[in-house]
Amino acid sequence: MASISLHMNHTLPSLLHAQTPKATLYQNLSLLSKSSQSQFHGLKLSNVPPCSVPSHSSMKTSVFAKVSEGSLVPPFTLKDQDGKTVSLSKFKGKPVVVYFYPGDETPGCTKQACAFRDSYEKFKKAGAEVIGISGDDAASHKQFASKYKLPFSLLCDEGNKVRKEWGVPSDLFGTLPGRQTYVLDKNGVCRLVYNNQFQPEKHIDETLNFLKSV
Amino acid sequence: MAEFKPRQKNSASKTISPKHFYDEESWKTPTSIQRAWFASGCTTLLISVAKSLIMISSRSTGLRSWIDPVVAAIVGYVLGDLGTGIYHWAIDNYGTARTPVFGSQIEGFLRHHDHPSAITKRHIATNLYVGAAGFTIAVFPMNIFCTNPNLLAFAAAFLGCGMFCQQLHAWSHTTKGKLPRLVVALQDSRVILPRAEHAAHHHPPFDSHYCIVSGVWNRFLDKYKIFWAMEMIFFFIFGVRPRSWSDFNSK
Repeated sequence: MASISLHMNHTLPSLLHAQTPKATLYQNLSLLSKSSQSQFHGLKLSNVPPCSVPSHSSMKTSVFAKVSEGSLVPPFTLKDQDGKTVSLSKFKGKPVVVYFYPGDETPGCTKQACAFRDSYEKFKKAGAEVIGISGDDAASHKQFASKYKLPFSLLCDEGNKVRKEWGVPSDLFGTLPGRQTYVLDKNGVCRLVYNNQFQPEKHIDETLNFLKSV
Repeated sequence: MAEFKPRQKNSASKTISPKHFYDEESWKTPTSIQRAWFASGCTTLLISVAKSLIMISSRSTGLRSWIDPVVAAIVGYVLGDLGTGIYHWAIDNYGTARTPVFGSQIEGFLRHHDHPSAITKRHIATNLYVGAAGFTIAVFPMNIFCTNPNLLAFAAAFLGCGMFCQQLHAWSHTTKGKLPRLVVALQDSRVILPRAEHAAHHHPPFDSHYCIVSGVWNRFLDKYKIFWAMEMIFFFIFGVRPRSWSDFNSK
């Protein structure tokens, strides 16, 4: 899997404020990656030295990486499919897999959700919780979760606020909400970031393999 | 022989009006208008070929004068396959029987998923008159005004693929024993749509293998999920779901 640099050359962000990286780094990696991978295939973001990228007026879809490996993630409180309020802090003390997906009832998101469902016991065995986040409302999440018997929470990110806060990159010139998964350790620090829009099942393999390796 | 599962129901069936009941008997005997359009399409194509040859002969400065139009025609044939894939994808996934201009085609394509072998019962003129009409309208003016043999060769090949793709499609649904040997040979050499290539499209949710001239683009388009990407873009920009998603979700 290709590794793309996104290391931030500054202090860790506070819990309350978004990161302001000193160097401008382009996170729309599906467009700009020089990896041998297809722009739609998985890109693992890892802690390597940054590369400077000249700015171009055409590259207007760049998104700053706000949550990267090693960073403390911004907290959130969102409603789940049952209308209950869920805070990320509730899961402190155990690893959490937070996966951002484009939308309910789309083929890729359905495959991804079902793959998480089918491997849920393995995640539980690893001591981890799984949370899915998209911009859909509670009714949509409820129908989606019920139809596919999803055992984990789907959270309603109204206005994609948390998605923007976490810096989840968009795909295809900003037209598609990105599909990115974060693995947080029991202290709420991000340990893995995995992005892959069009191979959704790979998110499960990557995160499970990571959890097993730590 | 390519195996097709009969009567594969999909959500598209729900969009078809009961008033537009498919009369299979009428397919076997084309109407005068269907014959006329088919004839005009074929005539227009022959004129394009003839005019290209005349232009090349009159300006010939060597072998290159002959090679360039042939290359242009080959490029047109290859891109024609891509064009049929895009058109097929759009028709299969968007619109209904009531959509202006395209409604009857949409209905026909969607019923085809329910009755895949029915296309083999259609007379060639019934199968091709719509494409032939489009070809005539697009290419006839070029036959009159175009002075570039390369451009004419490309247009004739590209749009000719559009005109004949429905017959290539029909042949891909026909059992080997009922096809002329030349057609079978062309299918086996993948010059025209092989039967097994198109059979891969006829499984719910009917979301792959859309190209129907030679199918040469199918592998690339499906491997890199080009149509899936386009569907996602359309959905997130316009809020329109493709039919293949309903078929996917109903599996």
